[in-house]
Amino acid sequence: MNIKRFLYGLAGLALLIGAWGLYDRFVFGHANTNYGSYVVWGLWVAMYLFFAGVAAGSFMISTLDFLFRIPIFKGTGRIALWTALVSLAAGLTSIGLDLGHMERIWKVFLEGNPSSVMFQMVWGYTLFGLLMLICLFLAIRMPESRLLRVLMGIGLVLSLFVSGAVGALLGVQAARPFWHVGLFPVQFPVFSLASGTAVMLSVLAFFGPKGDPNRRQQFWVLGILSVALVLVKLYFIWADYSVSIYGNVPQNVNAVREVLFGPYWWAFWILQLLIGSLIPVVVLSQKKLVQRPMLIGWMGVCLLIGYAVARGLIIFPALTIPEIENLANAFGGPHLTFEYFPSLVEWAVTIGTIGMATMGVLVGGDFLPLYLQSHKKGKV
Amino acid sequence: MKKRKTEDLSRRDFLKITGAAVSFLGALELAPEKVLASADTSLETRPLKFDVSPEDDQILRMQSDLRRALAKPVEERRWVMVIDLRKCLGCHACTIACVVENKLPPGVVYRPVIIEELGTYPNVAMRFLPRPCMQCDEPPCVPVCPVNATYKDENGVVVIDYDQCIGCRYCVTACPYGARTFDFGDLYTDETAESEGIIFGKPSASAYERSASYEYGETRQRNDHTSSPIGNVRKCHFCLHRLKEGMLPACTTTCIGRATYFGDANDQDSLVADLIASPNVMRLKEELGTQPRVYYLT
Repeated sequence: MNIKRFLYGLAGLALLIGAWGLYDRFVFGHANTNYGSYVVWGLWVAMYLFFAGVAAGSFMISTLDFLFRIPIFKGTGRIALWTALVSLAAGLTSIGLDLGHMERIWKVFLEGNPSSVMFQMVWGYTLFGLLMLICLFLAIRMPESRLLRVLMGIGLVLSLFVSGAVGALLGVQAARPFWHVGLFPVQFPVFSLASGTAVMLSVLAFFGPKGDPNRRQQFWVLGILSVALVLVKLYFIWADYSVSIYGNVPQNVNAVREVLFGPYWWAFWILQLLIGSLIPVVVLSQKKLVQRPMLIGWMGVCLLIGYAVARGLIIFPALTIPEIENLANAFGGPHLTFEYFPSLVEWAVTIGTIGMATMGVLVGGDFLPLYLQSHKKGKV
Repeated sequence: MKKRKTEDLSRRDFLKITGAAVSFLGALELAPEKVLASADTSLETRPLKFDVSPEDDQILRMQSDLRRALAKPVEERRWVMVIDLRKCLGCHACTIACVVENKLPPGVVYRPVIIEELGTYPNVAMRFLPRPCMQCDEPPCVPVCPVNATYKDENGVVVIDYDQCIGCRYCVTACPYGARTFDFGDLYTDETAESEGIIFGKPSASAYERSASYEYGETRQRNDHTSSPIGNVRKCHFCLHRLKEGMLPACTTTCIGRATYFGDANDQDSLVADLIASPNVMRLKEELGTQPRVYYLT
């Protein structure tokens, strides 16, 4: 079966499920969600972090073509830019639906508080999105223009800033020792680059034009980059968790335990480490396997699953530890619990946003001139 | 025989009470008909008199302190709350009073009482920790708000502008005390059965739930899931709307153990100023530098 047709079908189904989620969200508000006043951010926030990371990372990959002009990546810039745009749209959809009053989002622009990291992030992503649109336009119409190169340079700095801002959004929170990590703003751009690399592996493997002589080399470089970034990410996790456990601050240690041995153990050990890290590292580090694009594509998907789960495991565990012991039992009521597993509506909306991003990449690839064969440009 | 005794006692009691009342009125040089005639005098025209002095009852003293504070310019006041953990009974009256006063929906709580069991059996003790918003002088929840919807008002109380809040809940994650909750739009009558002519009550109960709350002196009805405060973060505000009218916060007046105190710490004659000067005062998570305005006596 043709992978594209299969993914079209899957994305269509995901959009249908997402439509039901949207209906519930708009008719009943937040009533049918499982996040609450204690675990205050749930799946939608985690997916926003994930998609925003993919967007920043894809943009970084597109600079290999349009800014750094690396020959083997010639022709990959447009689809990388488009993937970044589509991911950003999916991320903003996810976070928009999470807001209590999404109709007031304009207030961030006109009546905002510039000293808030969230304000900086919203402004940053807005500018980033606009810049990506202009870059894509230029990349299609005037790929050799100097303006494109200048904008890509600005965009690269902006992509580092916005992905770093997501890290800072969590890192500034002294109330949550699990998040209060000074290096978060440094770690998050690395995570973003890793996500962007993974998504490009999948996109190029599944949809890239056949017969491109550079494809295998692209897979090899992106694969090795992925392996390196996975190892860096694992090192960050090891450093964070081991220091936290050694430091023995109860709120922090409990959050780490929640990840390793708590209700999310399977997400960490199976999805993030086994499927999202170990298997792709083994496969992608073998050069002979780069001749099998489907395998490479699915390894990209595995990596993305791992990164999405990792975002969730940054968000939820910190919130499942009470700020004050026994707070959970002090007063009962809906949404007053420190236990969290996403509700059907949350899953439906998330499936919808994934479907939206997938459909966006597919439709863009079919109707926009996004794929170029690098050898046609003759600068290999 | 037993019944007869009861009747005798009643008759005797009646005579005693009547005699005492006539004597009392006589002493006051008031005839009973004069007392009855004055009964229609409205409360507004008759000043309230307390035979108990403010020194005898802490509520009266705090009300007196409050009146004095309200006469001062707002920037000279420093509202603080003091909670004596040794006197707290864990009755949750303050929690309920707060829910009623602010018409809080399910899942929204401003002042839970945290129950802790200390020690191991048989050497155990219970400790109750009421936890309102700390109204921090360095509130971590304020600078993170992307739209300035939460801020310290002129009273020094951390408030939320419901019409400005976008419901991102960043402030909730920033609060080290878990003092903020999100209004998901729930109603107590949501799951209530309803059947015309068989099960009554839901329409009127639901109407009551949807009727206006007067937090911050505003009138807000819970009409649908999009009207604020639904979709907003909510928190304790020291009952600002009551303070404005010269009344103590609801949790303070309803505390049956007289464990909660409220007043102006800048007034050296106030009860709270006396209390926070004692050596057995502590504040929650002081190491975070939040400078809470809620003090605990231990």
